[in-house]
Amino acid sequence: MSIQAIRTEENLITKEPYYEPVGNEVEVFAAAYRNQLPVLLKGPTGCGKTRFIEYMSWYLQRPMITVACHDDLTASDLIGRYLVKGGETVWVDGPLTSAARNGCICYLDEIVEARKDTSVVIHPLCDDRRLLPIEKLGELIQVPDTFCLAISYNPGYQSVMKDLKQSTKQRFVALEFDYPNADKEQTIVEREAEGIDSTIAAQLVKFGDMTRNLKGVGLEEGASTRLLVNAAKLILDGIPPVVATDSAVALALTDDVDMLKAVHELSRSVF
Amino acid sequence: MSEDQLANLLGEDPDQPAYNAAFAESFAALNLDDQKFIVKWFEIVGETDAALAAEFVNSAPGVFDELDHTGVEAWLMSALQAFDDEDLDKAHRLLAEPAEFIANYIYMHSRCTFESVSQFVQHFVIGLGGRELIITKFHEAYTDTEKIFLPDHIKDYPGPDLNFSVYKLTAVHLWAQARYGTWRFQVVETLGRISNNADAMAVFNRLECVRLDACIGRELPGIYRQFEALGYVSDEHKQAWQDFRDELSGLEEPTATALDSIALIEQYLDNSKRPLPVLKRYQAKMDLAAVRKAMTARINREKEAVQEALGELQRAIQQVIKGDDIEPLDDEEGRFTIVDADDQSRGDGPNVDLYYDDELIQMTPEIEDLMESIIQDFGEIPEQYMDGVARVPYASDQEADLGEEGFIPDPVQSADTIRYREWDYMRERFREGYCLMTELDVPPVDDNFVEVTLEKYRGLLKSIKKTFEVVLGESKLLRRQSQGDDIDIDALVEAQADFVSGQEMSDYVYTRYRNRERSVAVMFMVDMSGSTHGWINDAERESLILLSEALETLGDRYAIYGFSGKTNKRCETYRVKRFDESYSSMVRQRISGIRSKGFTRMGVAIRHLGHLLNMSRARTKILITLSDGRPEDYDAYRGRYAVEDTRHALQELRHEGIHSFCITIDKEAQDYLPHMYGAGNYAVIHEVQKLPVKVADIYRRLTTL
Ligand SMILES: Nc1ncnc2c1ncn2[C@@H]1O[C@H](COP(=O)(O)OP(=O)(O)OP(=O)(O)O)[C@@H](O)[C@H]1O
Ligand SMILES: [Mg+2]
Repeated sequence: MSIQAIRTEENLITKEPYYEPVGNEVEVFAAAYRNQLPVLLKGPTGCGKTRFIEYMSWYLQRPMITVACHDDLTASDLIGRYLVKGGETVWVDGPLTSAARNGCICYLDEIVEARKDTSVVIHPLCDDRRLLPIEKLGELIQVPDTFCLAISYNPGYQSVMKDLKQSTKQRFVALEFDYPNADKEQTIVEREAEGIDSTIAAQLVKFGDMTRNLKGVGLEEGASTRLLVNAAKLILDGIPPVVATDSAVALALTDDVDMLKAVHELSRSVF
Repeated sequence: MSEDQLANLLGEDPDQPAYNAAFAESFAALNLDDQKFIVKWFEIVGETDAALAAEFVNSAPGVFDELDHTGVEAWLMSALQAFDDEDLDKAHRLLAEPAEFIANYIYMHSRCTFESVSQFVQHFVIGLGGRELIITKFHEAYTDTEKIFLPDHIKDYPGPDLNFSVYKLTAVHLWAQARYGTWRFQVVETLGRISNNADAMAVFNRLECVRLDACIGRELPGIYRQFEALGYVSDEHKQAWQDFRDELSGLEEPTATALDSIALIEQYLDNSKRPLPVLKRYQAKMDLAAVRKAMTARINREKEAVQEALGELQRAIQQVIKGDDIEPLDDEEGRFTIVDADDQSRGDGPNVDLYYDDELIQMTPEIEDLMESIIQDFGEIPEQYMDGVARVPYASDQEADLGEEGFIPDPVQSADTIRYREWDYMRERFREGYCLMTELDVPPVDDNFVEVTLEKYRGLLKSIKKTFEVVLGESKLLRRQSQGDDIDIDALVEAQADFVSGQEMSDYVYTRYRNRERSVAVMFMVDMSGSTHGWINDAERESLILLSEALETLGDRYAIYGFSGKTNKRCETYRVKRFDESYSSMVRQRISGIRSKGFTRMGVAIRHLGHLLNMSRARTKILITLSDGRPEDYDAYRGRYAVEDTRHALQELRHEGIHSFCITIDKEAQDYLPHMYGAGNYAVIHEVQKLPVKVADIYRRLTTL
């Protein structure tokens, strides 16, 4: 992971991101924020978690730092490290430290992907002490009230080797995300793929719903809102709907021949 | 084509095809490839038998009209085969009169078979939504509202693609009957009262087709276009339906129901003046008796299930209100009501809300599915379903009368018997030492089951092993190692920086490739309850053999135990393979010896096997259950009680760091497995035959780092 000094003011979102609330998640997050509680966003892929946190960053007017976790992510990647610059050593804060110092929202996306030991550094941050120890500097940061830690986690089908520890999970206020209902989802598709015909948007949502009927009976996961938005964008660009859903949705969901055919035919039947 | 050849073909020679204008014309109409083919084979065949060659040339242009190139070749080859077999008559007949061959060939090559489409159609129909209809083979198509029956093959159209479409459209049409209320309770009752039933059903079938097609037109425009394109056998057929439709525009209104169709039956019964249109291609017979039978069974089953589920819900609510005490329900109990939901745009599930008195109650997925199915039958949730919510007797009430039937086995008390507790969700506490667990050995059976299985799945096993090896072979670049093949620049820079700033310099500055180290112990807990008898048992045993073979490649530690029993007094686990045992011929014989036994008391089995698993030394511990249904014992261990105990047992394991996963073939597993195992920790397999493949695949994915 590349390290750079993060200038937090650049991360302040000035334009309201489009987010369609599905339940009372905005209020709950805001309340958690006011009470300095960390938040866990749980939900299937592509249902708006990242978009939500961007929105909250704007809503609360706090800059946000996002870290996409991967399996080589270590504690120093989050906290920071010494670098040698022109014969001298300079300490560079990692994104977590940077967020902690500046009282920003720190969003660790797909936390399960990170190395298990990284979760240890976030534990002391998450209980009421709200401390971030920086061993190498011999420093203990008491994080400001405006700091907020949010992590995301997709509890779907995955390797048991990658589950989130109970001791981690239980430190967070959890928000459960799911795909929005048909009307809302249609609104989202229309807003995200601006200019899409509203009948087509409705048909896309209906098709998405059909694939969700197959979850657990042949598909691991139905089409996400993201995939429907993607299909809508292809359609806007002149691709025929069924071709668009094949490319943007069906092939992303399955490799099974019979299932591909079924998803293809489902698409053919709504358009 | 050379002059010679052409002259030869068309010449005056009496042995050659008579030169006539008709032949020349049809020959000339062929494309060059086909002409060359004819000339080439005319010469070859001519070497053996001039008369045959002449017949061939005469018939060939006609055959080319009917069949493609491969077909023509097949025709010629079958004739030459007959000639080689010294069946001259047959050879001559084939070449001189090809009509029969052509008909047969078209039949064989354009039909579409049930086997080739069933999996697809099943997925497709589930995707369309509503009550899950099972695709089943029968000699003709119809639905009984539980299953969709489709014929063994369809061959109405030239070419498998079109026949495939007819399969699909037939399934959609039958799905639409179940979905759009052709078989609502009231409809079925009314139809049952009509005299002259066969004729009435014929009319009803056609009227409903008009109504359902309109529904499809609104909901699934893509299907509607296909209906229109493929439904008719001729233009006249299409016109007949058009005329019929024109008289029935009322049925095409969104508000029309099957009762409106029934009201029109009378009018069309006397068809002496105006015949009914012939059924469309995707239509099927209607079998009122079959629908009634399936529906009656379902209504009883679901009514009971709803009342039981609501009863449990009620108890849970009252418990919250009253606190912990379990007392008989008093008379001032509240009432459940069903109200149409405000939010009618919910994707799936029924559009109704459940209230208890004035409070909105969150429905479990089980209740949701039930409600959806009931609404499909009645169009609503009948009032009386909410009445007389059944009082499921409390577990201990039933214990007493079990003994009288003399069914309770003698407790097998021996040194090997271990007592386990059981979770009672209503009391919200354990019944300590309630279950008596004995460990027994599966008696080895020395038959050829293992060999037959290995032979049957030879190809599959090879590919399973290969994918397992991939898991194993994945090597990974390890960073920050104290020794290694290369320098980890990032780590070195960091160490240097630490050093310069006065700290100790780290030695961990190397990278090294290493195969991932696996430290996995897995316990397979195999359902040996009575319901697994037969092919499920076979599939379980096959899966275990394939898996054991594959696991040997991986080197993971694994154990296999069966479980079953009858009541809390006699819970049994059956050793097939202990962790410290190797995959010996004895183990193989025990796998072969796995037989179905009694009931499914899951909680205690999970606790016992979890305990064994916990004693094994491994970083990752997994308990995998192979099952075919809900936890259920002979006594009151059923319904919510059994589910909650199982769930609790799994949670106990989770606290010990054991992961659980369930592989089941129960189609209703969706209703209770997520609650027991947690979302994502189970897999439902629809076809038992696929169990062996899926089990191996799931295992691999589950344990991939
Ligand atoms: N409630 C919503 N409001 C607005 N847009 C949404 C909403 N839900 C989903 N989307 C659309 O779906 C897309 C994907 O959402 P997002 O990237 O937030 O998913 P995610 O939950 O973070 O997925 P992942 O777990 O894969 O990271 C967004 O770019 C947006 O177009
Ligand atoms: Mg995201």
